[in-house]
Amino acid sequence: MAKKKGDEKVNHTPQSDNEEQNFDEEPNFEDPEGFVDDIPDEELLADVLESKPKESDGYENVVVVDGCPQVGPERLEKLQSVINKIFSKFGKIVNEFYPTTENGLTTGYIFLEYNNPQNAAEAVAATNNCKLDKQHTFLVNLFTDFKKYSDIPKEWEPPSPQPFKVQSDLQWYLMDPDAYDQFLVGIGTGVALQVWQNALPEPIVLQERPNWTETYAVWSPLGTYLATFHWRGVALWAGPKFSQFQKFYHPEARFISFSPCENYIVTFSPTGDRGDDKKLIIWDIRTGQEKRSFPPPDEYVTWPIFRWSKDDRFFARLGQDVLSVYETPSFGLLDKKSIKITGIRDFCWSPSDNILAYWVAEDKDVPARVTLLELPNRTEIRSKNLFSVADCKIHWQKSGDYLCVKVDRYSKVKKDKNDIKYSGMYYNFEIFHMREKEIPVDSVEIKEPIQAFTWEPIGSKFAIIHGDTANVCISFYQVNTGQAPTLLKKFERTPFNHLFWSPMGQFIVLANLGLTGGALEFLDTNDFTIMNVSDHYQMSGIEWDPTGRYVVTGVSSLKCKMDCGYYLWSFQGKILRRVMKEGFAQFLWRPRPPTLLSEKQQKEIKKNLKKYYSQFESKDRMRSSKASKELVAKRTEQMKKYVEYREMKSQEWAEQKPRRLELRNYVDTDGIDTEPSGSVEEVVEFFIKEEKTVIE
Amino acid sequence: MKPLMLQGHERAITQIKYNREGDLLFSVAKDSKPNVWWSLNGERLGTFNGHGGVVWCLDVDWETIHLITGGGDSSCRLWDLETGKNIATIKTNSSVRTCNFSFSAYQGAYTTDKAMGHPCEVFIIDTRTIDDSLSSQAPILKWEITDSKVTSMLWGTLDETIITGHEAGDLIQWDLRTGKKLHSIKEHTHQINDMQLSRDGTMFITASKDQTAKLFDTSSLELLKEYKTERPVNSAALSPILDHVVLGGGQDAMEVTTTSTRQGKFDARFFHLVFEEEFGRVKGHFGPINSLSFHPDGKSFASGGEDGYVRVQSFDQSYFDYTFDYNRD
Repeated sequence: MAKKKGDEKVNHTPQSDNEEQNFDEEPNFEDPEGFVDDIPDEELLADVLESKPKESDGYENVVVVDGCPQVGPERLEKLQSVINKIFSKFGKIVNEFYPTTENGLTTGYIFLEYNNPQNAAEAVAATNNCKLDKQHTFLVNLFTDFKKYSDIPKEWEPPSPQPFKVQSDLQWYLMDPDAYDQFLVGIGTGVALQVWQNALPEPIVLQERPNWTETYAVWSPLGTYLATFHWRGVALWAGPKFSQFQKFYHPEARFISFSPCENYIVTFSPTGDRGDDKKLIIWDIRTGQEKRSFPPPDEYVTWPIFRWSKDDRFFARLGQDVLSVYETPSFGLLDKKSIKITGIRDFCWSPSDNILAYWVAEDKDVPARVTLLELPNRTEIRSKNLFSVADCKIHWQKSGDYLCVKVDRYSKVKKDKNDIKYSGMYYNFEIFHMREKEIPVDSVEIKEPIQAFTWEPIGSKFAIIHGDTANVCISFYQVNTGQAPTLLKKFERTPFNHLFWSPMGQFIVLANLGLTGGALEFLDTNDFTIMNVSDHYQMSGIEWDPTGRYVVTGVSSLKCKMDCGYYLWSFQGKILRRVMKEGFAQFLWRPRPPTLLSEKQQKEIKKNLKKYYSQFESKDRMRSSKASKELVAKRTEQMKKYVEYREMKSQEWAEQKPRRLELRNYVDTDGIDTEPSGSVEEVVEFFIKEEKTVIE
Repeated sequence: MKPLMLQGHERAITQIKYNREGDLLFSVAKDSKPNVWWSLNGERLGTFNGHGGVVWCLDVDWETIHLITGGGDSSCRLWDLETGKNIATIKTNSSVRTCNFSFSAYQGAYTTDKAMGHPCEVFIIDTRTIDDSLSSQAPILKWEITDSKVTSMLWGTLDETIITGHEAGDLIQWDLRTGKKLHSIKEHTHQINDMQLSRDGTMFITASKDQTAKLFDTSSLELLKEYKTERPVNSAALSPILDHVVLGGGQDAMEVTTTSTRQGKFDARFFHLVFEEEFGRVKGHFGPINSLSFHPDGKSFASGGEDGYVRVQSFDQSYFDYTFDYNRD
């Protein structure tokens, strides 16, 4: 301790050592005679000088607010109080300065100093471009930014061109000369993914990658992209090699939905830790940019949370008593505010127009209501009041020609505190004829519970499964112009619980899905002929190919542990292929965009089908004969090898004959003739039948 | 043609076999009474009474004089076929899993289970004269199997070797002069349930729990062909006249009760011997098929199932007419 003190003393009083020389002999710190100090302070004390206060220090605390009203001295105080009110929200204002012109008016820009740079930055972020009133908009900048902007060179330099990135052909899958469709097969939970081409006579695997996804995979709605899930986010793959097209960083994203035109993708990460306001993100697919993020939905909602209009122009989300419609590409609310609809329960966009249908639940004496709303002008083009409504389901026909609202109605209601019990249920189908003037509405009433409703995708029929478990019926209705829907056909006592229309209409597959199911029926709804009846035991799903030529039934390993795999059928119900695959989990046909041919052109093709028919027929024949030739060649080769092997063995066998005879008492048992020579014929009597006849 | 249904057993059939001429069909089951039937009309000729439990295996000698059976009552029994009398009983330490006569029937072989503290053992016995004294005679040869137990067994041609199929899927060929292993291969991943020789004995087919049946060369144990299914295969047989194979099996008997017959896949399935392609199925059993056998004339086959029935099915003309396309030159 003493020593240290002494040291300090030495440093402090280099001059005074002459006075106190009591304890130690001090060295001489004086510069020698003639010493020139040629080392500058900067070199010696660079680190210390670094922290020397500068003139500009504290400038980052200062913001410049431009665009303020210009006022005279008499109203300066008022202005100051307004500014203070707005800007003190971000932190304490320690200093302010209102420059004035010669005639006493303020200049319209002011300087405010905060306690620290964070507050200043916050103020800039929050108030820049904010409207004070109709005439005045704040333009707020950090003081330090001015230096940045003043340093921008006067001469504009053209940006150097970026190297051109070759984009692979995203539409290649549509260019196949034989119009073979592709499909995706998922094995296990992310174990492997395969992309196949449904070629004739044998499907070809185009791509197979283990661990391509961590969970499952989906196609985009037009089939351009394949989306896979990873813990870091979602990746899109496209092009002939399925190269990575885009990735969206969103940890633990579990749900995605595409906009119908594939411009945007919504990702939802219920558990991700990117902050609460980053649970739901909308991205631009082509650029990969995050367009807007949203906090998580308040409660349990059905996915997709955002539902898109058919042209990607709008997307909407359901809230408590409110429907929020957003616009693209600004991603702001349409007309800056949500549509207030008290008691709104569900909504659905038309697949062909910018019209949405929503329904509002009953409230005391106010009946339930179904409304068709046109956007962006928000006109209600049709609404219908409904009474005694327990629930509604909105079903648009795929071509947007009809809308069906299935209404669950009750005859009695019992309210127990929070519990509402309905009894005496019956069901209405409200059919809206969208293409007719004033949109007439027809009703069909059915007294039995409804298990399924499906529209014919192209056409004007719909099918329902109804009845109790003892007698499940399937009914087909035809919707006519200006008339109530007519019952076309009713099948009673059917085992089916699901309906799958061909994407082209007319044909339908009736199926019994589930662990106890498996029954299948292929039906032509033109004349209601049953084309085939078959089964695929315990099937868990059915997928029509986008052209309506093939149907796939599958048993997924996620639903059932035995006999996982898929069967490929023709639309008439002819089995084409059985593929058993351990761990088979997912089957998805690659979608196709809508046809570019006009209705007239399509009709033309249908009319001249016979002309094209023979050409395709001969092509098919050639292919199958080629395939069978290959098979025959393979078999011939196998048989040749086998015959060689057998010849060698027969020779060996023949050589061993004496030893065989020796072992069996010289009885030759080699021949097929099972009667050895010299054997004794024995008569065996069989008891055939016994008859008793009474003799008179 | 309508199959003959042979109802005589009270429990699951474990093995069936034709005699060399094919006029008789023998069956053993989990009840204690082996049966013999006229293969022509399915009438029962008689039963063999004596076993005290499950009977696992049987074999008939080439002259149809003696029958050998082995069972869960720890005995291997020999029967006189003319009278149906139990003429010799060999007591063993544990269940007899397999038993077979050699080509000449001068010798027999049987194997026991590894159970009750006793190892799995292979015994070779002299069967030239069969009488009471057999039970006290020492076997000609016996050896222990230390690793996985024997689940099926065959005599090689000419009485020189035997081939054992094991629980773990191994196949071992033993030289009987030295009692040593000649070949050992592992082509199956699970238990080998059954092995049957081709008519001339130069090839044999295995049926395994690993859902496949495989064809091997008898002398070299070389793998020749493979037939795949989606269910454990309990039995497989080679047609004596055509290049056909029949496979039988189905879902494990233990799991059957919880599911329907549709899922069990209890069909007898026909494959082409060389092309390994399936070309036909015969339905009928409502439990797994445990044993299959072609009639020596190749014109019918019999199957015995977990359901306790033996079904004898004659082939229609279309079976003989069916051909595969290949270049025959």
